[in-house]
Amino acid sequence: MEFNIDDLPVLFPYPRIYPEQYAYMCDLKKTLDSGGHCVLEMPSGTGKTITLLSLIVAYQQYYPEHRKLIYCSRTMSEVEKALVELKGLMKFRAERLGREEDFRGLGLTSRKNLCLHPSVKREKSGNLVDARCRSLTAGFIRDKKEKGEDVETCIYHDNLDSLEPHNLVPNGVWSFNSLLQYGEQHKQCPYFTARRMMQFCNVIIYSYHYLLDPKIAERVSKDLSKDCIVVFDEAHNIDNVCIESLSTDITEDSLRRATRGVQNLENRINEMRDSDEQKLKDEYEKLVEGLRGADEARQEDAFMSNPVLPDDLLKEAVPGNIRRAEHFVGFLRRFIEYLKTRMKVRQVISETPESFLAHLKEYTFIEKKPLRFCAERLTSLIRTLELTNIEDQRPLQEVATFATLVATYEKGFLLILEPYESDTAEVPNPVLHFTCLDAAIAIKPVFERFSSVVITSGTISPLEMYPKMLGFTAVVQESYSMSLTRRSFLPMIITRGSDQASISTSFQVRNEPGVVRNYGNLLTEFARITPDGMVVFFPSYLYMESIISMWQGMGVLDEVWKYKLILVETPDAQETSMALQTYRTACCKGRGAVMLCVARGKVSEGIDFDHQYGRTVICIGVPFQYTESRILKARLEFLRETYRIRENDFLSFDAMRHAAQCLGRVLRGKDDYGVMVLADRRFERKRAQLPKWISQRLLDSEAGLSTDMAVGSARRFFKTIAQPFADDEGVSIWGIDQLRAHQEKMAGEQILELQAQAQQNAMAAQVAAAAHEERPDSDYEMDEEGEAEMMALGV
Amino acid sequence: MSRKAAMGGARQPVGGATTTTTTTSTISTEDMCPVCKTIRYLNKDMEFLINPECYHSMCSNCVNRLFNDGPNQCPYAGCNKTLRRKGFRSAFFGDLGVEREVDIRRRVAAVFNQGEDDFETTTDYNNYLQMVEDLTFDLVFGTDRKRQEAEATLQRWEAEHTAQIEQNRRQGREADEMARRRLRAEKDAARLRRIEAVREAEEEKRERALTREAELDSIAQAPEGQGSSRVQLKRRGLAAAAGVNSAAPVATAAATDVGKLSIRGLKEKKKAVVHEGPYDPFGGLDFTPSRYRLGPDLKHQRIEDLRATMRYNPGGFRFEDWTAQLMFEAFAGLGVFVEDEKEVGIGLEAGRVASIGAGIAAVGDRMELD
Ligand code: SF4
Ligand SMILES: [Zn+2]
Ligand SMILES: [Zn+2]
Repeated sequence: MEFNIDDLPVLFPYPRIYPEQYAYMCDLKKTLDSGGHCVLEMPSGTGKTITLLSLIVAYQQYYPEHRKLIYCSRTMSEVEKALVELKGLMKFRAERLGREEDFRGLGLTSRKNLCLHPSVKREKSGNLVDARCRSLTAGFIRDKKEKGEDVETCIYHDNLDSLEPHNLVPNGVWSFNSLLQYGEQHKQCPYFTARRMMQFCNVIIYSYHYLLDPKIAERVSKDLSKDCIVVFDEAHNIDNVCIESLSTDITEDSLRRATRGVQNLENRINEMRDSDEQKLKDEYEKLVEGLRGADEARQEDAFMSNPVLPDDLLKEAVPGNIRRAEHFVGFLRRFIEYLKTRMKVRQVISETPESFLAHLKEYTFIEKKPLRFCAERLTSLIRTLELTNIEDQRPLQEVATFATLVATYEKGFLLILEPYESDTAEVPNPVLHFTCLDAAIAIKPVFERFSSVVITSGTISPLEMYPKMLGFTAVVQESYSMSLTRRSFLPMIITRGSDQASISTSFQVRNEPGVVRNYGNLLTEFARITPDGMVVFFPSYLYMESIISMWQGMGVLDEVWKYKLILVETPDAQETSMALQTYRTACCKGRGAVMLCVARGKVSEGIDFDHQYGRTVICIGVPFQYTESRILKARLEFLRETYRIRENDFLSFDAMRHAAQCLGRVLRGKDDYGVMVLADRRFERKRAQLPKWISQRLLDSEAGLSTDMAVGSARRFFKTIAQPFADDEGVSIWGIDQLRAHQEKMAGEQILELQAQAQQNAMAAQVAAAAHEERPDSDYEMDEEGEAEMMALGV
Repeated sequence: MSRKAAMGGARQPVGGATTTTTTTSTISTEDMCPVCKTIRYLNKDMEFLINPECYHSMCSNCVNRLFNDGPNQCPYAGCNKTLRRKGFRSAFFGDLGVEREVDIRRRVAAVFNQGEDDFETTTDYNNYLQMVEDLTFDLVFGTDRKRQEAEATLQRWEAEHTAQIEQNRRQGREADEMARRRLRAEKDAARLRRIEAVREAEEEKRERALTREAELDSIAQAPEGQGSSRVQLKRRGLAAAAGVNSAAPVATAAATDVGKLSIRGLKEKKKAVVHEGPYDPFGGLDFTPSRYRLGPDLKHQRIEDLRATMRYNPGGFRFEDWTAQLMFEAFAGLGVFVEDEKEVGIGLEAGRVASIGAGIAAVGDRMELD
């Protein structure tokens, strides 16, 4: 379908469009035009990705700036899905326009997924693949090869050098699979192809981390220009991604291994001094010039990733006392020994980076400035020493990263030392958490660098929370409802059990037999009336375990077993995927199954239960975070002091976004249907925090039900929804004619509105002028008068 | 264990030429005293001490045993340093090599205490830093000759720059003091804010509980039939309450006041009524006299007569109650206009209570977060 939004012609690869998709496009265009950021919430299953892509591709092809699109999603499979959609879109455009556009779209993922080297790609862990690849592709290895030495390299990588650097793959959209195929055919490395082509792409699709994690972003995303359009899809958890990317944990074991790493470096330096002292001298000379000079190879083959340093720092010379390799090694050793001593303390300590630095200086004479250079200096040293067993150096890198972060950021971070794993543990197992409290720090460079950043997800309510937490201002902030011709999902809040006692998983009552029995009852009842699959979410593993064992004792599970198979999510990924497999089979065979999972687990985030795989979702209890965690407490305090977000507000927001995620699992499109049950007394008061598309459909009469009433409603719902039904065009889906009609209507309304506004303005001006003449001396009264009159006019 | 002893031996004489590439292996003195071979397992509170003369570590028992009677030779094989009891201290670092290095650094830092501002350019400053670092390395790891040279340089520098060193030292101390003070102030402020937040939260919680109780009270005390209407009012919120109040203008004032009204005060007032008995047959009617006040000793002939009569002084009764009763009877009925009473009833009182309830409910809705 083809239509215009204002002057922009949009090609949409489907014959019909949902009204909310159209609205989404309009708002998106508004954002791009104004060059600002936006937060958009659109229900899951309404084709968010294709909407985004078609508008932005249209935009970039139509306007002369040809702004590049960087589309970030969470998981590799989501990235692949987006690539496939993009491919379809481009095909459609080519058909309609009658020509292939000059267009290239690429996705990037880790080496683990893109490697072709026969032995490297078989490594189990991603880190190992990275390390082994680096040992085959590092600059000095290639130098050696050129000099005729016998070193192993990767043929896939070497072949790239014989190609034109800006034309490694032909135009078109390359999904991971097609890129792998192409790479195999032409014997070129898909990973480096994608990395190097990044600058020459119209659309880049990759995971958040390539942009948010400063350790990676610097390498992967530094060449992207300012007018890029950045999209974060499925961004409801973006604040946590930001925080994680800047936080590190240090354990006694990692320090031990870091010491070993230092020892290695030292040995290697001694070796090199005997054999090839010139290299060390060269490095030294470069470091005198400044980090940038030493690091012109902050490039793809860099050994490790470093946290971002302010640009001016990079231009600065490396502090004199860590320029020489042996000085730096001594410096590292002192720092590590200091940390070891700190770890011996047997009480919980939380301190700011500033006080940490003061103490550090007092006991080791390590100043802040060389500490800031630590990570970069280590990279340079490792490269000079031509170390290839990078995996061994990882703990040392972590310590160096920590050093740089702690010396770079004063605000928004906290060091927490926890000597024991839990309050009851006898044997100390100290962990030094260096935690980032401020999500805005990691994402700040993104907002600063790119003019348009789009944050979007199916569940991102309340919208105003995100700009607050991430520290940006949004020009457009919209939540779309789901247009439906009939009620295809039934959200309900159950506050009481069948015995009318209120149900809740709040701490005081969660283990009361009465409450547990009521929940059990709820489960049995819904298991009986739900066709096919049913998903149940619990607030935590711990609670799930305890409630399941109590149900076992009460005979609840036996009862459920009569109607459905019972499957349970565990922290083990393999087991869970087995369970899911069985669940799917049971749903398809008609036996039906119940999946018991955790609201913050893997299932709640990434697994879809569309159609028969999920007809009912029950959220047992409000999925609050574990508030006793010191890190969470620190973050709450930070949010309260810095952003004026009250602790309860944040916890409740966080719980509700997870609840909404859980609910959204069963509804993956407009032809899908399902029942959504929120089972906790406390949900009643949190209704407003649900995404608009859910809360809008939640009738007053269906909030605060007892189990029996809810079961009644659900039964009625399943009966009606099972009736044959022709989706009548016009309400929940538009053909081109309806879209045109809508556009005309909107245009008409807009004109009227503008006219009315103009008129009103004129009148107000008149009134004000008149009032002004009457009472030239008294401002205050004039205002009141004027207002009153205006109000009168308005009526 | 013999390994450790040997290690110690190998590092002899520590003060002298030492190649400290093996520092890492000396860490593990943690669990056994190399002198008396006591292991930590037997003595949990075992403490290790070192003497900066030679950095040989031993347990505090050994130190007491060997050095309490005056200076003695270090018990480590091959170490010929003479140690004194008061030189012993516990080490900050597990790695004694680092411990020693830091001690030396402390000395160096006290002399080479120039800051970046003391130099023309950053390059100069960096060169200076490197020079200091080289010197420190010589002091720590250098050969005998290097060490002596470095020592000499250090002393020369100190002699040449006495004034400036002193000045920098003072400035450094001041800056440190300032920083420390600032940190402390910040910490205090943060603590105060935290306490404030906790207090706020608690206040909120308490108010919520109070409100709920007050609601329940008002329902419990309501005469038959009125309780339910109150509940309804409460649900409908303030707006509805205002509507009811228009019938009783006096009550409106009370309702608008509710925002400021201390809820605790409200509750006490009710208690005053409840206090006299579990059941109040007058439905909360106020008996406090409004037209007169009861003084402590009322003088009247008749009262004096009564006081003298045995009949009016039985055990367990207060004579004042009689006088109160008399006064009440004397004024009873004054100011009552039967016609008015018929119109309004005691509704004024009831309306007022209801509207207060509504006010509380409105406040309560907002506060009941969880
Ligand atoms: S260059 Fe490519 S193919 Fe070769 S090892 Fe690295 S990732 Fe694998
Ligand atoms: Zn001993
Ligand atoms: Zn000794």
